[in-house]
Amino acid sequence: MLFRRIYQFLIVYAAGVSGLMGIKYGVGLSDYVIPGPELILETAGRVLTTYFFDCINTLSVTILGQLISIFMAFSVGILGRKSTWVGSFIKVMAYNIQAYPIVALAPIIFILLGDGFLSRLLIASMICYFPLLLSVLGIMASPVEDIEHFYKATGRMRWQLEVKIRAFENLSKLTTVIAGSATLAMAGTIVAEFIAADAGIGYSIRIALYQSDLAGILTALFMIGIIISVYQGLLETAGEQVKTKWSAPKGGTLI
Amino acid sequence: MHFECTDLTFTYPGADKPVLDRLSFSMAAPGFNAVFGPSGVGKTSFARLLAGHGTLAEEHCRHEGLSTLLYSYNQERLPGWASTGSHLEKVCPEENTGLKDELIRIFRVESLMDARFSQLSMGQQNRMNLIRYLIQDFDLLILDESLANVDEALRETIILAMKDLFPDRLFLYISHNLMEVARFCRDILILSRGKSGTVVRGLDYTLGYVPDPAGLDRTMLEIMNAV
Repeated sequence: MLFRRIYQFLIVYAAGVSGLMGIKYGVGLSDYVIPGPELILETAGRVLTTYFFDCINTLSVTILGQLISIFMAFSVGILGRKSTWVGSFIKVMAYNIQAYPIVALAPIIFILLGDGFLSRLLIASMICYFPLLLSVLGIMASPVEDIEHFYKATGRMRWQLEVKIRAFENLSKLTTVIAGSATLAMAGTIVAEFIAADAGIGYSIRIALYQSDLAGILTALFMIGIIISVYQGLLETAGEQVKTKWSAPKGGTLI
Repeated sequence: MHFECTDLTFTYPGADKPVLDRLSFSMAAPGFNAVFGPSGVGKTSFARLLAGHGTLAEEHCRHEGLSTLLYSYNQERLPGWASTGSHLEKVCPEENTGLKDELIRIFRVESLMDARFSQLSMGQQNRMNLIRYLIQDFDLLILDESLANVDEALRETIILAMKDLFPDRLFLYISHNLMEVARFCRDILILSRGKSGTVVRGLDYTLGYVPDPAGLDRTMLEIMNAV
């Protein structure tokens, strides 16, 4: 899972850089517009370590933001799973807010909270929160009648059991959504850094942009791709392990 | 105890015709009774109406002395996060632990207690599901194809054991197996399109029964004529 993610990214990255080189040599553009392979490698050698730590900085905000989103999405999703007016209100609100491009609210957050960690964290959380919430709401609001019937009929159904049944039956969907939301959280953090923060890979890309340093931007994109691939790969592997541990019998394997 | 329904009519929302049209019948309780009829005639709808405790069933059906109604069907599943044995243990009232062990032996699922539900065959799944209903406190248990995919010999063993172990309960056994219904059930409610419901007396075999081929032929013929 992990290695598949990384080599898939490397193929896409290599195709993108090859495309750029094709344009550069096809149209005859200078190194000022699109740098040649030597310049890219030279820049990479110079900034790779710095960008690596910038990416780790961004990733730490991403992970924290995603954790907050997951916690919030599950709390609100569990509350909103019932067909009560509270549940309906939460669902309608989530659908409507989700339709709005949350990143457009970033300037307001920067005006209110200023540059820095909190603004980045908030934007990262907000961007991955709503898609997560919609998925969790969808899963939690769908009864698994074939399993739930017995517990309802015998008066054993509790909200914890209901949530457990629905989460277990949709484990694959949940792990996919959580792994997918990592990209959203990372995008949110980078956008926040790009707009007005003073740290992280988004901030470094902004500096490279102002210097028209495409080699630096390509290096940053490479680092982001590798880091997010590793992170997503780890999330997917963890999800697979949870699934295996939860559903396989002890001391045996599934037939 | 007695179980009867009068003029029970039910139409699904948006449907032109009622699935149950002025259904009226009366059957003795307790006992092992059946609901029989061709597919789509409303057997499951009738069972769900009864078990759902809806106002419609309450208005038209009288079941004095039957306060706890349970409905089991053949596609039910146990959660997959623990073994079937562990699930049975969790849902078993303390006073029924002995009964649970006996049912596990009779239903021949002893070797499946450590397996997950998804690992079992369909017949094993149905047996496991039925055990967890039988260890609950109930007055009326509706078995909607609950023994589907179980081989005939074992089905006979299970039905006879249920009749022996629960003589004071009412069972409504929904099945498409004409011979089985005729042999083991006492009152058989026949549902068919355009008729209001007929109750035919079955042979009601119990443990150690002596087969009555002529009586069986007669009962089966009577059921087929009522359909």
